[in-house]
Amino acid sequence: MSEPAAPARRSDPRTRSGPPQLNRSQKLMVFVLSMTLFGLANILTEVLPEIRIGPVELSVSYLAFVPVLMASLFHPLYAALGAPLGEIVFVDLLMGDFSGIGELEGYLQLFLGLYIAGCLVRDPRRRGQVFTASVTAVAVDKLLSAVVDIGKVMVGVEDAEYVAGLPESILLLEGVGFTTDLVISGVLFGALPAMAMAPRLYGKVEPLLGMAPRDPARPAPLAERGTGAFLLTALLLAFVSMIAAFTSGIVDNFGVWEPGFIDRYGQRFLWVGVSAACLVLIALVVSVRYLVHARRERAAQDAGAGRGEGRR
Amino acid sequence: MGTRREALTVEWVKLELLRTAYATRGGMLARRDPRFVIGWYLVFAVVPWLTHNITVLLGLFAVCAAAVVLSRVGPLVLGLFLLGFVLESLYVLFAAWFFDGDAATALALAELTLKLATVSLASMAAFVSLDPERLSDALLSLHAPAMLSFGVSYGFRMLPVLMEEFHTVVDGYRLRAAPPGPRGVLGWRVVLRTGTTVVNAFYPLILNTAKRTRTTVEALETKGFTYASEHPDGRRIRLAYLAADRWDVLLIAATLALVAACFGLGHHWPLYGTAG
Repeated sequence: MSEPAAPARRSDPRTRSGPPQLNRSQKLMVFVLSMTLFGLANILTEVLPEIRIGPVELSVSYLAFVPVLMASLFHPLYAALGAPLGEIVFVDLLMGDFSGIGELEGYLQLFLGLYIAGCLVRDPRRRGQVFTASVTAVAVDKLLSAVVDIGKVMVGVEDAEYVAGLPESILLLEGVGFTTDLVISGVLFGALPAMAMAPRLYGKVEPLLGMAPRDPARPAPLAERGTGAFLLTALLLAFVSMIAAFTSGIVDNFGVWEPGFIDRYGQRFLWVGVSAACLVLIALVVSVRYLVHARRERAAQDAGAGRGEGRR
Repeated sequence: MGTRREALTVEWVKLELLRTAYATRGGMLARRDPRFVIGWYLVFAVVPWLTHNITVLLGLFAVCAAAVVLSRVGPLVLGLFLLGFVLESLYVLFAAWFFDGDAATALALAELTLKLATVSLASMAAFVSLDPERLSDALLSLHAPAMLSFGVSYGFRMLPVLMEEFHTVVDGYRLRAAPPGPRGVLGWRVVLRTGTTVVNAFYPLILNTAKRTRTTVEALETKGFTYASEHPDGRRIRLAYLAADRWDVLLIAATLALVAACFGLGHHWPLYGTAG
Protein backbone atom coordinates (compact mmCIF):
# COMPACT_ATOMS: atom_id res chain seq x y z
CA MET A 1 0.00 0.00 0.00
CA SER A 2 1.51 3.27 -1.01
CA GLU A 3 1.55 5.93 1.67
CA PRO A 4 0.75 9.55 0.95
CA ALA A 5 2.25 10.58 4.31
CA ALA A 6 5.69 9.05 4.03
CA PRO A 7 7.78 9.30 7.20
CA ALA A 8 10.11 12.26 7.16
CA ARG A 9 13.20 10.21 7.89
CA ARG A 10 16.26 12.08 6.85
CA SER A 11 19.46 10.46 5.75
CA ASP A 12 21.60 13.56 6.13
CA PRO A 13 22.86 14.12 9.66
CA ARG A 14 21.37 17.37 10.89
CA THR A 15 23.57 19.87 12.55
CA ARG A 16 20.86 20.58 15.12
CA SER A 17 20.54 17.83 17.71
CA GLY A 18 17.17 16.55 18.87
CA PRO A 19 14.68 14.05 17.55
CA PRO A 20 13.70 14.12 13.87
CA GLN A 21 10.86 16.46 12.97
CA LEU A 22 7.47 14.91 12.45
CA ASN A 23 5.25 15.81 9.55
CA ARG A 24 1.73 17.08 10.04
CA SER A 25 -0.11 13.79 9.88
CA GLN A 26 2.41 12.11 12.15
CA LYS A 27 1.84 14.77 14.77
CA LEU A 28 -1.89 14.22 14.45
CA MET A 29 -1.40 10.45 14.75
CA VAL A 30 0.61 10.72 17.96
CA PHE A 31 -1.92 13.19 19.34
CA VAL A 32 -4.96 11.05 18.48
CA LEU A 33 -3.36 7.81 19.67
CA SER A 34 -2.40 9.31 23.00
CA MET A 35 -5.84 10.88 23.40
CA THR A 36 -7.74 7.70 22.58
CA LEU A 37 -5.72 5.36 24.76
CA PHE A 38 -5.71 7.61 27.80
CA GLY A 39 -9.42 8.29 27.37
CA LEU A 40 -10.14 4.57 27.37
CA ALA A 41 -7.86 4.06 30.37
CA ASN A 42 -9.78 6.77 32.21
CA ILE A 43 -13.11 5.13 31.51
CA LEU A 44 -11.70 1.97 33.08
CA THR A 45 -10.56 3.94 36.12
CA GLU A 46 -14.10 5.24 36.51
CA VAL A 47 -15.24 1.63 36.80
CA LEU A 48 -12.50 0.41 39.15
CA PRO A 49 -13.71 0.45 42.77
CA GLU A 50 -12.16 2.67 45.40
CA ILE A 51 -11.60 2.04 49.06
CA ARG A 52 -11.92 4.86 51.58
CA ILE A 53 -10.41 4.55 55.02
CA GLY A 54 -11.45 7.80 56.63
CA PRO A 55 -9.93 10.69 54.69
CA VAL A 56 -7.42 8.34 53.05
CA GLU A 57 -8.73 7.37 49.65
CA LEU A 58 -7.13 4.27 48.18
CA SER A 59 -8.16 4.62 44.57
CA VAL A 60 -6.54 4.61 41.17
CA SER A 61 -6.81 8.20 40.01
CA TYR A 62 -5.58 7.28 36.54
CA LEU A 63 -3.63 4.55 34.77
CA ALA A 64 -0.52 6.66 34.48
CA PHE A 65 1.48 4.10 32.53
CA VAL A 66 -0.53 4.67 29.34
CA PRO A 67 0.31 8.35 28.76
CA VAL A 68 3.84 7.88 30.15
CA LEU A 69 4.44 5.14 27.59
CA MET A 70 3.12 7.40 24.83
CA ALA A 71 5.27 10.32 25.94
CA SER A 72 8.40 8.21 26.24
CA LEU A 73 7.99 6.30 22.97
CA PHE A 74 6.73 9.12 20.74
CA HIS A 75 7.33 12.83 20.56
CA PRO A 76 6.72 14.08 24.12
CA LEU A 77 5.02 17.34 23.13
CA TYR A 78 2.22 15.85 21.01
CA ALA A 79 1.72 12.86 23.28
CA ALA A 80 1.48 15.15 26.31
CA LEU A 81 -0.92 17.50 24.51
CA GLY A 82 -3.19 14.61 23.54
CA ALA A 83 -3.45 12.57 26.72
CA PRO A 84 -5.18 15.08 29.05
CA LEU A 85 -7.61 15.91 26.25
CA GLY A 86 -8.55 12.23 26.16
CA GLU A 87 -9.57 12.44 29.78
CA ILE A 88 -11.65 15.56 29.17
CA VAL A 89 -13.34 14.18 26.06
CA PHE A 90 -14.00 10.57 27.03
CA VAL A 91 -14.77 10.89 30.71
CA ASP A 92 -15.83 14.44 31.40
CA LEU A 93 -17.70 15.42 28.25
CA LEU A 94 -19.18 12.09 27.23
CA MET A 95 -20.06 11.02 30.77
CA GLY A 96 -21.50 14.44 31.57
CA ASP A 97 -18.96 15.34 34.22
CA PHE A 98 -17.46 18.46 32.62
CA SER A 99 -16.40 20.94 35.26
CA GLY A 100 -15.60 24.07 33.26
CA ILE A 101 -12.52 25.95 34.40
CA GLY A 102 -11.45 23.01 36.56
CA GLU A 103 -10.77 21.03 33.38
CA LEU A 104 -8.33 23.66 32.18
CA GLU A 105 -6.21 23.47 35.31
CA GLY A 106 -6.28 19.65 35.19
CA TYR A 107 -5.19 19.75 31.55
CA LEU A 108 -2.25 22.04 32.20
CA GLN A 109 -1.08 20.04 35.22
CA LEU A 110 -1.09 16.71 33.43
CA PHE A 111 0.39 18.20 30.27
CA LEU A 112 3.30 19.64 32.19
CA GLY A 113 3.92 16.39 34.07
CA LEU A 114 3.83 14.25 30.95
CA TYR A 115 5.95 16.59 28.86
CA ILE A 116 8.69 16.68 31.48
CA ALA A 117 8.43 12.90 31.88
CA GLY A 118 8.67 12.28 28.14
CA CYS A 119 11.74 14.49 27.85
CA LEU A 120 13.46 12.63 30.69
CA VAL A 121 13.42 9.35 28.77
CA ARG A 122 16.35 9.10 26.38
CA ASP A 123 16.04 5.39 25.73
CA PRO A 124 12.74 3.59 26.48
CA ARG A 125 14.56 0.27 26.81
CA ARG A 126 16.30 1.50 29.97
CA ARG A 127 13.87 0.66 32.79
CA GLY A 128 15.37 3.12 35.27
CA GLN A 129 14.58 6.07 33.02
CA VAL A 130 11.00 4.91 32.50
CA PHE A 131 10.59 4.51 36.26
CA THR A 132 11.85 8.04 36.90
CA ALA A 133 9.62 9.40 34.16
CA SER A 134 6.45 7.78 35.53
CA VAL A 135 7.05 8.96 39.07
CA THR A 136 7.95 12.45 37.83
CA ALA A 137 4.80 12.71 35.73
CA VAL A 138 2.48 11.81 38.60
CA ALA A 139 4.45 13.86 41.12
CA VAL A 140 4.35 17.03 38.99
CA ASP A 141 0.65 16.60 38.24
CA LYS A 142 -0.41 15.87 41.80
CA LEU A 143 1.86 18.49 43.34
CA LEU A 144 0.40 21.17 41.10
CA SER A 145 -3.15 20.05 41.86
CA ALA A 146 -2.44 20.12 45.61
CA VAL A 147 -1.09 23.63 45.21
CA VAL A 148 -4.19 24.69 43.29
CA ASP A 149 -6.37 23.29 46.07
CA ILE A 150 -4.38 25.18 48.68
CA GLY A 151 -4.63 28.28 46.55
CA LYS A 152 -8.41 27.91 46.48
CA VAL A 153 -8.47 27.88 50.27
CA MET A 154 -6.24 30.94 50.37
CA VAL A 155 -8.45 32.89 47.99
CA GLY A 156 -11.73 31.51 49.27
CA VAL A 157 -11.30 32.17 52.98
CA GLU A 158 -10.52 35.59 54.34
CA ASP A 159 -7.01 35.57 55.85
CA ALA A 160 -6.85 31.78 55.74
CA GLU A 161 -3.48 31.69 57.48
CA TYR A 162 -4.98 33.25 60.58
CA VAL A 163 -7.91 30.88 61.06
CA ALA A 164 -6.95 28.50 63.86
CA GLY A 165 -6.27 24.96 62.66
CA LEU A 166 -7.21 25.56 59.02
CA PRO A 167 -3.78 25.62 57.33
CA GLU A 168 -2.53 22.56 59.21
CA SER A 169 -5.59 20.48 58.41
CA ILE A 170 -5.65 21.42 54.72
CA LEU A 171 -1.95 20.68 54.41
CA LEU A 172 -2.37 17.36 56.22
CA LEU A 173 -5.20 16.23 53.93
CA GLU A 174 -3.37 17.34 50.79
CA GLY A 175 -0.18 15.63 51.94
CA VAL A 176 -1.98 12.35 52.60
CA GLY A 177 -3.73 12.53 49.22
CA PHE A 178 -0.44 13.29 47.44
CA THR A 179 1.33 10.34 49.06
CA THR A 180 -1.36 7.76 48.29
CA ASP A 181 -1.66 9.04 44.71
CA LEU A 182 2.08 8.83 44.23
CA VAL A 183 2.22 5.25 45.51
CA ILE A 184 -0.89 3.89 43.77
CA SER A 185 -1.07 5.86 40.52
CA GLY A 186 2.61 6.70 40.25
CA VAL A 187 4.25 3.39 41.12
CA LEU A 188 1.70 0.54 41.09
CA PHE A 189 -0.25 1.67 38.03
CA GLY A 190 2.43 3.93 36.60
CA ALA A 191 6.06 2.95 36.92
CA LEU A 192 5.80 -0.82 37.21
CA PRO A 193 3.60 -1.45 34.12
CA ALA A 194 5.47 1.19 32.13
CA MET A 195 8.81 -0.41 32.98
CA ALA A 196 7.52 -3.79 31.83
CA MET A 197 5.92 -2.53 28.64
CA ALA A 198 8.23 0.18 27.29
CA PRO A 199 10.99 -2.23 26.15
CA ARG A 200 8.41 -4.58 24.61
CA LEU A 201 6.69 -1.80 22.67
CA TYR A 202 9.91 -0.07 21.63
CA GLY A 203 10.51 -0.64 17.94
CA LYS A 204 7.11 -2.31 17.48
CA VAL A 205 4.59 0.47 17.80
CA GLU A 206 6.53 3.27 16.11
CA PRO A 207 6.63 1.60 12.65
CA LEU A 208 2.85 1.21 12.83
CA LEU A 209 2.65 5.00 12.74
CA GLY A 210 5.41 5.20 10.16
CA MET A 211 8.05 6.63 12.46
CA ALA A 212 11.54 5.71 13.53
CA PRO A 213 11.94 4.59 17.14
CA ARG A 214 13.43 7.10 19.54
CA ASP A 215 17.16 7.40 19.05
CA PRO A 216 19.09 7.59 22.35
CA ALA A 217 21.80 9.58 20.62
CA ARG A 218 19.35 12.38 19.78
CA PRO A 219 17.34 13.07 22.92
CA ALA A 220 14.52 15.56 23.09
CA PRO A 221 15.75 18.61 24.90
CA LEU A 222 13.50 19.64 27.77
CA ALA A 223 12.43 22.65 25.78
CA GLU A 224 13.31 23.69 22.28
CA ARG A 225 14.11 27.20 23.30
CA GLY A 226 15.59 28.84 26.32
CA THR A 227 12.34 30.68 26.93
CA GLY A 228 10.40 27.44 27.25
CA ALA A 229 12.73 26.05 29.90
CA PHE A 230 12.69 29.39 31.68
CA LEU A 231 8.90 29.47 31.69
CA LEU A 232 8.64 25.95 33.05
CA THR A 233 11.04 26.80 35.84
CA ALA A 234 9.22 30.03 36.55
CA LEU A 235 5.88 28.24 36.77
CA LEU A 236 7.23 25.60 39.14
CA LEU A 237 8.91 28.23 41.27
CA ALA A 238 5.71 30.27 41.41
CA PHE A 239 3.78 27.28 42.69
CA VAL A 240 6.47 26.33 45.18
CA SER A 241 6.58 29.88 46.47
CA MET A 242 2.81 29.80 46.93
CA ILE A 243 3.17 26.70 49.12
CA ALA A 244 5.98 28.36 50.98
CA ALA A 245 3.87 31.45 51.60
CA PHE A 246 1.08 29.30 52.96
CA THR A 247 3.28 27.22 55.24
CA SER A 248 5.11 30.27 56.56
CA GLY A 249 1.80 31.34 58.05
CA ILE A 250 1.95 28.25 60.25
CA VAL A 251 5.60 28.46 61.18
CA ASP A 252 5.71 32.15 61.95
CA ASN A 253 4.19 33.55 65.05
CA PHE A 254 0.85 35.07 64.16
CA GLY A 255 1.32 38.17 66.27
CA VAL A 256 4.30 39.44 64.32
CA TRP A 257 2.28 41.26 61.71
CA GLU A 258 0.11 44.20 62.60
CA PRO A 259 -3.58 43.30 62.25
CA GLY A 260 -4.43 46.65 60.66
CA PHE A 261 -1.86 46.04 58.00
CA ILE A 262 -3.48 42.72 57.13
CA ASP A 263 -6.94 44.24 57.10
CA ARG A 264 -5.89 46.86 54.64
CA TYR A 265 -3.53 44.94 52.42
CA GLY A 266 -4.13 41.23 53.00
CA GLN A 267 -6.82 40.96 50.40
CA ARG A 268 -4.87 42.94 47.89
CA PHE A 269 -1.82 40.73 48.38
CA LEU A 270 -3.94 37.70 47.61
CA TRP A 271 -5.06 39.27 44.38
CA VAL A 272 -1.48 40.07 43.48
CA GLY A 273 -0.64 36.39 43.93
CA VAL A 274 -3.60 35.21 41.94
CA SER A 275 -2.98 37.58 39.09
CA ALA A 276 0.69 36.61 39.03
CA ALA A 277 -0.29 32.95 38.74
CA CYS A 278 -2.77 33.83 35.97
CA LEU A 279 -0.08 35.76 34.12
CA VAL A 280 2.30 32.82 34.32
CA LEU A 281 -0.41 30.48 33.03
CA ILE A 282 -1.26 32.79 30.14
CA ALA A 283 2.41 33.13 29.31
CA LEU A 284 2.75 29.36 29.29
CA VAL A 285 -0.20 28.93 26.96
CA VAL A 286 1.07 31.62 24.61
CA SER A 287 4.55 30.14 24.57
CA VAL A 288 3.24 26.64 23.86
CA ARG A 289 1.15 27.98 21.00
CA TYR A 290 4.15 29.87 19.72
CA LEU A 291 6.26 26.75 19.97
CA VAL A 292 3.74 24.65 18.07
CA HIS A 293 3.36 27.37 15.47
CA ALA A 294 7.11 27.72 15.02
CA ARG A 295 7.48 23.98 14.59
CA ARG A 296 4.70 23.92 12.05
CA GLU A 297 6.31 26.74 10.11
CA ARG A 298 9.62 24.96 10.11
CA ALA A 299 8.04 21.67 9.09
CA ALA A 300 6.24 23.47 6.28
CA GLN A 301 9.51 25.02 5.13
CA ASP A 302 11.27 21.67 5.25
CA ALA A 303 8.51 19.95 3.37
CA GLY A 304 8.35 22.77 0.85
CA ALA A 305 12.09 22.60 0.27
CA GLY A 306 12.16 18.82 0.19
CA ARG A 307 9.18 17.99 -1.97
CA GLY A 308 8.68 21.22 -3.80
CA GLU A 309 5.08 21.61 -2.63
CA GLY A 310 4.78 24.74 -0.53
CA ARG A 311 2.21 24.98 2.22
CA ARG A 312 0.82 28.15 3.62
CA MET B 1 -20.25 -9.43 48.51
CA GLY B 2 -20.95 -12.52 46.42
CA THR B 3 -24.24 -11.26 45.02
CA ARG B 4 -22.74 -7.86 44.32
CA ARG B 5 -19.97 -9.40 42.27
CA GLU B 6 -22.47 -11.29 40.19
CA ALA B 7 -24.50 -8.16 39.50
CA LEU B 8 -21.41 -6.20 38.45
CA THR B 9 -20.58 -8.02 35.23
CA VAL B 10 -18.39 -6.37 32.64
CA GLU B 11 -21.27 -6.47 30.20
CA TRP B 12 -23.53 -4.54 32.58
CA VAL B 13 -20.84 -1.92 33.27
CA LYS B 14 -20.26 -1.48 29.56
CA LEU B 15 -23.94 -0.99 28.82
CA GLU B 16 -24.29 1.42 31.73
CA LEU B 17 -21.37 3.52 30.49
CA LEU B 18 -22.75 3.62 26.97
CA ARG B 19 -26.15 4.58 28.29
CA THR B 20 -24.59 7.49 30.19
CA ALA B 21 -22.64 8.65 27.17
CA TYR B 22 -25.42 8.47 24.61
CA ALA B 23 -28.52 9.27 26.66
CA THR B 24 -30.66 12.07 25.30
CA ARG B 25 -30.12 15.10 27.39
CA GLY B 26 -32.62 17.81 28.06
CA GLY B 27 -33.55 20.56 30.46
CA MET B 28 -33.69 24.31 30.66
CA LEU B 29 -30.13 25.16 29.58
CA ALA B 30 -29.82 22.42 26.94
CA ARG B 31 -32.00 24.30 24.47
CA ARG B 32 -30.13 27.59 24.81
CA ASP B 33 -27.23 28.69 22.64
CA PRO B 34 -24.21 26.83 24.08
CA ARG B 35 -22.10 30.00 24.02
CA PHE B 36 -24.55 31.71 26.34
CA VAL B 37 -24.59 28.64 28.58
CA ILE B 38 -20.82 28.92 28.92
CA GLY B 39 -21.26 32.61 29.77
CA TRP B 40 -23.88 31.72 32.36
CA TYR B 41 -21.48 29.21 33.89
CA LEU B 42 -18.59 31.68 33.93
CA VAL B 43 -20.68 34.16 35.95
CA PHE B 44 -21.20 31.60 38.69
CA ALA B 45 -17.66 30.27 38.48
CA VAL B 46 -16.11 33.69 39.11
CA VAL B 47 -18.53 35.66 41.29
CA PRO B 48 -18.34 33.46 44.46
CA TRP B 49 -14.62 34.16 44.77
CA LEU B 50 -15.19 37.92 44.88
CA THR B 51 -16.90 38.02 48.25
CA HIS B 52 -16.52 36.76 51.80
CA ASN B 53 -20.12 37.55 52.74
CA ILE B 54 -21.90 34.32 53.63
CA THR B 55 -25.37 35.75 52.91
CA VAL B 56 -24.36 36.48 49.31
CA LEU B 57 -22.87 33.01 48.99
CA LEU B 58 -26.06 31.41 50.31
CA GLY B 59 -28.06 33.33 47.72
CA LEU B 60 -25.78 32.28 44.87
CA PHE B 61 -25.91 28.68 46.11
CA ALA B 62 -29.72 28.79 46.08
CA VAL B 63 -29.77 30.15 42.50
CA CYS B 64 -27.43 27.39 41.31
CA ALA B 65 -29.40 24.71 43.14
CA ALA B 66 -32.58 25.91 41.44
CA ALA B 67 -30.79 25.80 38.08
CA VAL B 68 -29.69 22.22 38.76
CA VAL B 69 -33.28 21.22 39.50
CA LEU B 70 -34.48 22.92 36.31
CA SER B 71 -31.78 21.19 34.27
CA ARG B 72 -33.05 17.76 35.35
CA VAL B 73 -29.73 16.46 36.61
CA GLY B 74 -30.06 12.78 37.47
CA PRO B 75 -30.38 11.74 41.12
CA LEU B 76 -27.26 9.57 40.92
CA VAL B 77 -24.95 12.42 39.90
CA LEU B 78 -26.55 14.72 42.46
CA GLY B 79 -26.38 12.14 45.26
CA LEU B 80 -22.70 11.42 44.64
CA PHE B 81 -21.98 15.14 44.62
CA LEU B 82 -23.75 15.73 47.94
CA LEU B 83 -22.12 12.73 49.61
CA GLY B 84 -18.68 13.80 48.43
CA PHE B 85 -19.10 17.33 49.70
CA VAL B 86 -20.49 16.33 53.10
CA LEU B 87 -17.73 13.77 53.68
CA GLU B 88 -15.00 16.14 52.50
CA SER B 89 -16.07 18.97 54.81
CA LEU B 90 -16.47 16.53 57.72
CA TYR B 91 -12.87 15.38 57.30
CA VAL B 92 -11.56 18.92 57.13
CA LEU B 93 -13.66 19.85 60.17
CA PHE B 94 -12.32 16.88 62.09
CA ALA B 95 -8.75 17.71 61.16
CA ALA B 96 -9.27 21.36 62.11
CA TRP B 97 -10.66 20.31 65.50
CA PHE B 98 -7.61 18.09 65.93
CA PHE B 99 -5.39 21.14 65.43
CA ASP B 100 -7.28 23.31 67.99
CA GLY B 101 -9.81 24.93 65.72
CA ASP B 102 -12.90 26.78 67.04
CA ALA B 103 -16.19 28.23 65.83
CA ALA B 104 -14.38 30.68 63.55
CA THR B 105 -12.70 27.74 61.83
CA ALA B 106 -16.07 26.08 61.25
CA LEU B 107 -17.50 29.29 59.76
CA ALA B 108 -14.47 29.73 57.52
CA LEU B 109 -14.86 26.16 56.31
CA ALA B 110 -18.56 26.72 55.69
CA GLU B 111 -17.62 29.71 53.53
CA LEU B 112 -15.14 27.68 51.52
CA THR B 113 -17.55 24.76 51.12
CA LEU B 114 -20.29 27.09 49.93
CA LYS B 115 -18.01 28.57 47.29
CA LEU B 116 -16.82 25.24 45.97
CA ALA B 117 -20.35 23.80 46.03
CA THR B 118 -21.76 26.78 44.11
CA VAL B 119 -19.16 26.44 41.37
CA SER B 120 -19.75 22.68 41.12
CA LEU B 121 -23.52 23.10 40.98
CA ALA B 122 -23.16 25.70 38.24
CA SER B 123 -20.99 23.41 36.12
CA MET B 124 -23.43 20.56 36.68
CA ALA B 125 -26.44 22.62 35.65
CA ALA B 126 -24.66 23.98 32.60
CA PHE B 127 -22.83 20.97 31.23
CA VAL B 128 -24.57 17.76 32.30
CA SER B 129 -27.54 18.45 30.08
CA LEU B 130 -25.58 19.94 27.19
CA ASP B 131 -24.83 17.79 24.15
CA PRO B 132 -21.02 17.29 23.96
CA GLU B 133 -20.80 18.22 20.29
CA ARG B 134 -22.74 21.46 20.83
CA LEU B 135 -20.49 22.28 23.75
CA SER B 136 -17.35 21.65 21.72
CA ASP B 137 -18.69 23.80 18.87
CA ALA B 138 -19.32 26.60 21.34
CA LEU B 139 -15.76 26.31 22.59
CA LEU B 140 -14.56 26.32 18.99
CA SER B 141 -16.46 29.52 18.31
CA LEU B 142 -14.73 31.03 21.35
CA HIS B 143 -11.43 30.22 19.61
CA ALA B 144 -10.56 27.06 21.47
CA PRO B 145 -8.12 24.83 19.52
CA ALA B 146 -9.76 22.91 16.66
CA MET B 147 -8.29 19.71 18.09
CA LEU B 148 -10.76 19.85 20.98
CA SER B 149 -13.82 19.62 18.81
CA PHE B 150 -12.16 16.98 16.64
CA GLY B 151 -11.44 14.98 19.80
CA VAL B 152 -15.05 15.17 20.90
CA SER B 153 -16.40 14.04 17.55
CA TYR B 154 -13.84 11.26 17.30
CA GLY B 155 -14.40 10.08 20.86
CA PHE B 156 -18.15 10.15 20.45
CA ARG B 157 -17.91 7.75 17.52
CA MET B 158 -15.03 5.56 18.65
CA LEU B 159 -16.06 4.91 22.26
CA PRO B 160 -18.25 1.82 21.64
CA VAL B 161 -15.69 0.26 19.26
CA LEU B 162 -12.86 0.75 21.74
CA MET B 163 -14.81 -0.63 24.65
CA GLU B 164 -15.86 -3.65 22.62
CA GLU B 165 -12.26 -4.26 21.66
CA PHE B 166 -11.03 -3.94 25.22
CA HIS B 167 -13.67 -6.39 26.37
CA THR B 168 -12.60 -8.90 23.70
CA VAL B 169 -8.95 -8.63 24.72
CA VAL B 170 -9.76 -9.09 28.41
CA ASP B 171 -11.94 -12.10 27.60
CA GLY B 172 -9.07 -13.55 25.60
CA TYR B 173 -6.76 -13.21 28.59
CA ARG B 174 -9.27 -14.81 30.89
CA LEU B 175 -9.85 -17.73 28.52
CA ARG B 176 -6.16 -18.47 28.19
CA ALA B 177 -5.30 -17.98 31.86
CA ALA B 178 -5.48 -20.71 34.48
CA PRO B 179 -8.67 -20.76 36.54
CA PRO B 180 -8.50 -18.45 39.57
CA GLY B 181 -7.16 -20.01 42.77
CA PRO B 182 -8.03 -19.12 46.36
CA ARG B 183 -9.04 -15.49 46.99
CA GLY B 184 -6.48 -14.79 49.68
CA VAL B 185 -6.80 -12.39 52.61
CA LEU B 186 -9.32 -9.63 51.74
CA GLY B 187 -9.29 -11.00 48.20
CA TRP B 188 -5.84 -9.60 47.43
CA ARG B 189 -5.28 -12.27 44.79
CA VAL B 190 -8.43 -11.13 43.01
CA VAL B 191 -7.24 -7.52 43.12
CA LEU B 192 -3.82 -8.50 41.83
CA ARG B 193 -5.31 -10.64 39.07
CA THR B 194 -7.70 -7.90 37.95
CA GLY B 195 -4.94 -5.32 38.01
CA THR B 196 -2.50 -7.38 35.95
CA THR B 197 -5.20 -8.34 33.46
CA VAL B 198 -6.22 -4.72 32.91
CA VAL B 199 -2.60 -3.66 32.50
CA ASN B 200 -1.70 -6.55 30.21
CA ALA B 201 -4.73 -5.93 28.04
CA PHE B 202 -3.26 -2.59 27.10
CA TYR B 203 -0.33 -4.15 25.26
CA PRO B 204 -2.35 -5.51 22.30
CA LEU B 205 -4.68 -2.55 22.61
CA ILE B 206 -1.86 -0.04 22.09
CA LEU B 207 -0.71 -1.84 18.94
CA ASN B 208 -4.23 -2.22 17.53
CA THR B 209 -5.15 1.38 18.27
CA ALA B 210 -1.94 2.57 16.63
CA LYS B 211 -2.89 0.81 13.40
CA ARG B 212 -6.43 2.14 13.55
CA THR B 213 -5.22 5.67 14.29
CA ARG B 214 -2.95 5.62 11.27
CA THR B 215 -5.80 4.56 9.01
CA THR B 216 -8.08 7.24 10.41
CA VAL B 217 -5.54 10.05 10.21
CA GLU B 218 -4.45 9.18 6.69
CA ALA B 219 -8.06 9.11 5.55
CA LEU B 220 -8.67 12.45 7.25
CA GLU B 221 -5.59 14.07 5.76
CA THR B 222 -6.51 12.80 2.29
CA LYS B 223 -9.74 14.73 2.66
CA GLY B 224 -7.84 17.81 3.81
CA PHE B 225 -8.80 17.68 7.46
CA THR B 226 -6.15 19.94 8.99
CA TYR B 227 -6.49 22.46 6.19
CA ALA B 228 -10.27 22.61 6.59
CA SER B 229 -10.12 22.93 10.36
CA GLU B 230 -7.67 25.81 10.16
CA HIS B 231 -9.22 27.63 7.25
CA PRO B 232 -11.67 30.40 8.27
CA ASP B 233 -14.27 29.23 5.72
CA GLY B 234 -14.34 25.73 7.16
CA ARG B 235 -14.79 27.13 10.63
CA ARG B 236 -17.59 29.46 9.49
CA ILE B 237 -19.52 26.66 7.80
CA ARG B 238 -19.17 24.40 10.78
CA LEU B 239 -20.38 27.02 13.25
CA ALA B 240 -23.11 28.53 11.08
CA TYR B 241 -25.90 26.77 12.97
CA LEU B 242 -25.08 28.52 16.24
CA ALA B 243 -27.52 31.38 16.62
CA ALA B 244 -28.60 33.30 19.69
CA ASP B 245 -32.18 34.42 20.17
CA ARG B 246 -33.82 36.78 22.67
CA TRP B 247 -34.25 33.98 25.23
CA ASP B 248 -30.47 33.69 25.46
CA VAL B 249 -30.12 37.39 26.14
CA LEU B 250 -32.93 37.11 28.66
CA LEU B 251 -31.10 34.26 30.38
CA ILE B 252 -27.97 36.35 30.87
CA ALA B 253 -29.98 39.39 31.97
CA ALA B 254 -31.94 37.34 34.51
CA THR B 255 -28.71 35.81 35.82
CA LEU B 256 -27.09 39.18 36.29
CA ALA B 257 -30.23 40.49 38.02
CA LEU B 258 -30.24 37.51 40.39
CA VAL B 259 -26.56 37.98 41.22
CA ALA B 260 -27.19 41.67 41.88
CA ALA B 261 -30.14 40.72 44.12
CA CYS B 262 -27.88 38.35 46.08
CA PHE B 263 -25.38 41.13 46.63
CA GLY B 264 -28.21 43.47 47.67
CA LEU B 265 -29.40 40.95 50.27
CA GLY B 266 -25.84 40.53 51.49
CA HIS B 267 -25.48 44.28 51.85
CA HIS B 268 -28.60 44.49 54.03
CA TRP B 269 -27.96 41.43 56.20
CA PRO B 270 -24.23 40.82 56.11
CA LEU B 271 -22.74 37.70 57.74
CA TYR B 272 -19.00 37.25 57.69
CA GLY B 273 -16.95 34.12 58.30
CA THR B 274 -14.21 35.74 60.32
CA ALA B 275 -15.39 38.18 62.94
CA GLY B 276 -13.70 41.54 62.68
